[in-house]
Amino acid sequence: MKTDAHFFSAYRRPQSRLASAADCYQVSQFLFAEADLLDSWLFDEWLQLLSPDIRYWSPARENRLMKDLEKEVSPAGGSAHFEENFEMLRQRVARIDTNKAWAETPPSRSRHLISNIRVFHDAAGRADIYEADCCFQVYRSSGERSQDSVFGRRIDIVQRDPGEHGFKLLERTVVFDMATILVKNLSLIY
Amino acid sequence: MTLTNPVSSYIDTQRGLIRGEIFHDREIYELELERVFARSWVFIAHETMLPTTGSFIQNYVGEDPILVVRQQDGSIRAFLNQCQHRGMRLCRADLGQTKNFMCSFHGWNYNLAGKLINVPHGEATFAPEDLADVKLREMRVTNYKGFIFGNWDENAPNFEEYMGDFAWYFDSYIDRYPGGMEVVGTHKWVLPCNWKFNAEQPTSDMYHGETSHMSAFEVMLPRKPDGRLQDWAEQQVEILADAKGGQFSSPYGHGAGWFDVGVPVLDKTIFDWKKRTSGEVAKRLGENRVYIPGHANLFPNFMMLGANTFRVTHPRGPNEMEIWSWSMAPVAAPPEVKDAIRVDLLRTFSGAGMLEQDDAVNWEEEQAVLRGFMARSEHLKYRQLMNKARYDHNGYPGKTVPHVYSEQAARDMYLHYSDLMSGAPWPELVKLKAERVEQERQACGKNNFLNPAEA
Repeated sequence: MKTDAHFFSAYRRPQSRLASAADCYQVSQFLFAEADLLDSWLFDEWLQLLSPDIRYWSPARENRLMKDLEKEVSPAGGSAHFEENFEMLRQRVARIDTNKAWAETPPSRSRHLISNIRVFHDAAGRADIYEADCCFQVYRSSGERSQDSVFGRRIDIVQRDPGEHGFKLLERTVVFDMATILVKNLSLIY
Repeated sequence: MTLTNPVSSYIDTQRGLIRGEIFHDREIYELELERVFARSWVFIAHETMLPTTGSFIQNYVGEDPILVVRQQDGSIRAFLNQCQHRGMRLCRADLGQTKNFMCSFHGWNYNLAGKLINVPHGEATFAPEDLADVKLREMRVTNYKGFIFGNWDENAPNFEEYMGDFAWYFDSYIDRYPGGMEVVGTHKWVLPCNWKFNAEQPTSDMYHGETSHMSAFEVMLPRKPDGRLQDWAEQQVEILADAKGGQFSSPYGHGAGWFDVGVPVLDKTIFDWKKRTSGEVAKRLGENRVYIPGHANLFPNFMMLGANTFRVTHPRGPNEMEIWSWSMAPVAAPPEVKDAIRVDLLRTFSGAGMLEQDDAVNWEEEQAVLRGFMARSEHLKYRQLMNKARYDHNGYPGKTVPHVYSEQAARDMYLHYSDLMSGAPWPELVKLKAERVEQERQACGKNNFLNPAEA
């Protein structure tokens, strides 16, 4: 097997880039605070965590032969669940605010669990930028009996920011651990 | 198999009444797999998904897995994706390219044409005659302008006859520009509802758009600095509010709906390109087909939208369906338009799409309510635009009604569904349909309206 065939192999980083315990703590707290905003339906405040140049991307996956492992995750410009800039994310938030986004009206109850966090210094050596890797589970209950949950891995790029939360999100890649999405929709932010 | 109550007892298309049992009943569902899916033409691949010899994709016809394979001679054949030894799923990748297919259970090996070419320990343990008739089960296929359809029933009418007048409408989606279509994105997801909810909608329900998807129209269209919609965007909202257009329905259950100025577009790049090329399309297809793409469904489960999503809705039990959706762009479109189509569709009509998300919840609740005895006993009303049909009217072939918001095509879809579910063999059904259409055509008044009061 080619050692670099899998999508995630591009995200193996040398231990030398591992950020300090203090940096890791601060970035982790930022990600937990973000999850709290999403689960508390404070979407307007959540938008303030985003860089105006944010790139929010979630490639789709397929069942592939082992020899085609590098195609298991769609490349940039291919199949994706999300491929958003700031304005597009703002539209998703504004849609919920219309009270006519039936997927989330009445609102669902979500819980973002963030784990396996590793924080690395930026590959280009920029002092205030970190790469934060994590795994997530997003549980959702809606209506009377509907419940589902999605798992995945997230690769975030964050930059220190003088604002309240200490960081801004520059880039997010969300890779769901599913080929066929086995839930009725992806109506939340992940 | 005999049903306790025949499906026809739940479907009264004359009065536009359908009972919820057809979406809920397990017995009916099992019979659909046999009488609908194993007898209908179902979309299984597009030729661009199979670029070279040995290219394959997996798909489904009903719950049966299908392997679609590009042959040595360039032709495309389709097989049941099941090893004929002990029934194992033969190929387990969604797509790829291979020389042959080896079963991961006992190693039986089939070539691209479905012929058994190797059985481990075969010579020592099997008599030759016990293997002589083993090959993959093959289905009928047809290639219509690059779209590959399969059918298990040897007695089913050929694809052209099955499509009938639908071809005129289908072409306005897939044959607008020279060079055909190509796939620019794929999405698969599941929904907790019956497959017919996603069949009847593109067949016959443009009506839901304004209410179900209002939030997306409110936020996705760009505004001027004063907060009002940009002029081109304002036009898109007016299309829904004015809602002029028509609907086609077919004796074979197909349907299509259109707005007479085109379906609303949410992306400016796509809007400009459609506008820029409308003269070219008019020249190729005729003036009245420029605006046909709205929504359409080739019965049972091949749906398309003017936004260029093409999908099959696989049944997964009476209470679940699985959508396989391909975003397609005309090969002739410039790269920025192809990319705009790809991004527009993932933001509108995918599992994360801002229009699709809301359909999911409406269908989920519709399905959940049908668990109730009283809810199932209730007649659901499919009565919109009754008695307004006419034939070959104003250049639109076949049976049409004079409004885009209509349940005529749903009534005709369920009439065909009821025909199929009766179990009558295809030759009988073909005859029945020909007689029915002839009767309706003769009943048409001088202006081709079925109802004389409308003429």
